[in-house]
Amino acid sequence: MPDMSKMKKPDVKVVLLGDMNVGKTSLLHRYMERKFKDTVSTVGGAFFLKQWGPYNISIWDTAGREQFHGLGSMYCRGAAAVILTYDVTNWQSLAELEERFLSLTDTANHDCIYAIVGNKADLTDSKAHLSRDSDGQSENQTECEEGRTEPEVLSACPTPPASPASLSGLMLHKQVTREDAVALYGRILRYKGLEEKSSLPAEKMCFETSAKTGYNVDALFEALFDLVLPSILRKRHENQESPTVDLEECRGVSGKKARSSCC
Amino acid sequence: MERDNHQEGEAQGVKICDPPSESNPAADTLATSLSLLGNHMFPDSVERNERLGVNREVPADSLLSDVTAEESSLDAETPSNQIMKPETECQDNVSTQPAADRGTEDSAIDNDQSNSEEFVVTMLAKAKLEEQGLGVKGRSSPLLEAGNQESPAFMSHRDEDVTADSWRAHRKHVFVLSEAGKPIYSRYGSEEALSSTMGVMMALVSFVQSGDNIIRSVYSEEHTVVFLQKGPLVLVCVSSSRQSEQQLRAELLYVYYQIISMLTQASISRIFEHKKNYDLRRLLAGSEKILDGLLNMVDSDPSFLLAAVHCLPLASSLRDSLSQILQKAITPNLVFSILIAKNQLLTIVQEKTVIEDTRLEPTDIHLLLNLIGASSAFQAGEIWTPICLPLFNPDCYFYAYISYLDPPECTVCLLLLSTDKEAFYAVADCKRKIEEAMVAQNSLSLIAKAQSYSVSQVGVSDLRHFMYKPFDVPDNYRQLTQFTSPEMEAPYSSEEEKMRLLDLYRYMHSRIHSTSRPLKLIYHVAERETLLAWVTSKFELYTCFSPLVTKACAITAITKLLRWIKKEEDRLFIRYPPKYSTTPNPSKSSRGGKSDQQDSTDNGFLSLL
Repeated sequence: MPDMSKMKKPDVKVVLLGDMNVGKTSLLHRYMERKFKDTVSTVGGAFFLKQWGPYNISIWDTAGREQFHGLGSMYCRGAAAVILTYDVTNWQSLAELEERFLSLTDTANHDCIYAIVGNKADLTDSKAHLSRDSDGQSENQTECEEGRTEPEVLSACPTPPASPASLSGLMLHKQVTREDAVALYGRILRYKGLEEKSSLPAEKMCFETSAKTGYNVDALFEALFDLVLPSILRKRHENQESPTVDLEECRGVSGKKARSSCC
Repeated sequence: MERDNHQEGEAQGVKICDPPSESNPAADTLATSLSLLGNHMFPDSVERNERLGVNREVPADSLLSDVTAEESSLDAETPSNQIMKPETECQDNVSTQPAADRGTEDSAIDNDQSNSEEFVVTMLAKAKLEEQGLGVKGRSSPLLEAGNQESPAFMSHRDEDVTADSWRAHRKHVFVLSEAGKPIYSRYGSEEALSSTMGVMMALVSFVQSGDNIIRSVYSEEHTVVFLQKGPLVLVCVSSSRQSEQQLRAELLYVYYQIISMLTQASISRIFEHKKNYDLRRLLAGSEKILDGLLNMVDSDPSFLLAAVHCLPLASSLRDSLSQILQKAITPNLVFSILIAKNQLLTIVQEKTVIEDTRLEPTDIHLLLNLIGASSAFQAGEIWTPICLPLFNPDCYFYAYISYLDPPECTVCLLLLSTDKEAFYAVADCKRKIEEAMVAQNSLSLIAKAQSYSVSQVGVSDLRHFMYKPFDVPDNYRQLTQFTSPEMEAPYSSEEEKMRLLDLYRYMHSRIHSTSRPLKLIYHVAERETLLAWVTSKFELYTCFSPLVTKACAITAITKLLRWIKKEEDRLFIRYPPKYSTTPNPSKSSRGGKSDQQDSTDNGFLSLL
């Protein structure tokens, strides 16, 4: 598409997929803005550009609602990584990944990598309360009080927990185990016709996170970005090889020169 | 909007009520189901309802005359002998029957009614069965217990106890259900808990339908129940707001359009043709907040009442420069570029060929504004979403690009509508051009200074507030319908007082637009203020004065006000919505770009039609 050349070019595309209410927007929000807050149901898809070192990574946060299902394959076109998200307290959300979302990834790159992410781990796992990431724990506590949109949380803890210990009594049943996610990863590889041996191992690609406490969130995104780095470099290389002149680059340079000389 | 009201007016004019004069068993059943609904919705009048039954013979006119008889009828009690009466509308086939055939016709109706009687009984029995699962029994109606059906373990802020008095006390309930009686949306309380109540509503609709009639409304002492059937959807409003039936129906239409804007009319019809008892909530899940937001806006924003757009007052030079920025940042298949600040319109520019065929209706803009308001939680990103503009074309999607230009404050919002699903990157690029141009011209800080005006600027001492809506005149025919209004200031600064003033305006509006006795000018002395509403061929005006103003004073004040508006016109309204042509080379499009224009029509706009 000629139109794309004018934009600050994203090097690589990452897409978040998954059923509604699993916390895709919250995950991304936690990673981008280091906060957990009440979100409303996403409409369509939202585009974010993340500056990661010298690279521009575009992230598409898609709506999980069936209403927007038709758009899914468009968001996935040319994706280098897809984050398939489910809710650890909701078995159906894992099943939906296979039933509804896997086929959308047909338009992704052939070497696209897949991560399977179980969100809301804080509801079932006390270790997820201690954020592994750099965020201050005190800040998290106050934000937790704002509550979530998901009904389960409100019913489970009508008052915000004072400490993880008091919460453990209110733990929700974990409906999806890590083994279930690993098994799904295997089936995805098979669906894609990939050899298990030559692909990334399931242990590396299955995550359990909590957007609420920040548990494992940075680890997820950073790991994924590291893994897509080869395809970033290859793409940049291809662009350099490309026989077409990149007008944008030339214009950018000349524009800067013109400005600096006139002032 | 306007046209719809008109049609309804005509329909009411030819309204004939078929009189099944003896109280037949069918009518009894209707009475029962009405009182069951009554039990649930307004329990205070339960006993009376049961005694009264249903009177289907009351002609609509007598009802309307009750309302229109007295100037002060807003505060007057509705006569108590008309507590519950469904207004039914006959369809043509009944009225065209010769009088001689009446006998056979009646029996035919009776047959229908006994069929539908069975239906109603079945519906009610079904509802009861559902309740019996709970094991709740007692002297109260089974419907009262509807809310207990769902285990309270999954309570969210949305889930209200539908058996509580506080639930009944809501000023305006809105329900949406499918023709199969499946709940789709309820403004308060969960749809599951209300499934039997909605079943009864559907029973009422089907019962009246089986007699070749359409149920339009039910009046009780405290409440007005208004029904609207649109395709496979049934919308019901239960209101104690004293608004007119037409106003409530117009609000239901907004709800319908908002649903259409998310799913399109074509896909809704397709779904229900395919599967009559489809649960539409599957597709609307997550959109409840958009509908909630719409209903809150309908209650608090007069734009909906006036069916006009409120734009932010802005020096015309600034508005023009913003329009020019938008006009320059275009790409193929871009159709509308809209700039919004503080939820009000700043400017709107449109593709040339589009505006030649049709214009953007205020309703569509209201729906867009509501969508933006309801989806602004995560404001750093750029949203790309399909959206249908129901009055523009109810069956097709636009693709909307939504982005804020001033993060993190997020008050200035850019909305670009394209017909091309794949155009995200091209459209996002337009945003960057717009952003650059606005930085260069320092537009954002100028916009930040713009604000609504105070009524004191008009310089008329007794004038407290007004709403002015100019009508389309031939020379700006294709212009967007707009209105202007100052901030609501003391004594209308509290939420309650604001609502009270809006209610007064709604009352004046209903009198002006009454189908039976429309008025041109009303001078209304209310308890704490005096209002004057005036409609001419050029404008519609609502004014609010201090209570001690005299008629002569008010007239002089209005003359002054009209003169002031004329003077400020360029600032208050978008005068000439600019157009552009999304041809590859916009600089040449001003002359002789005809063939290029054709191209853009082919690849973009036609795909819509």
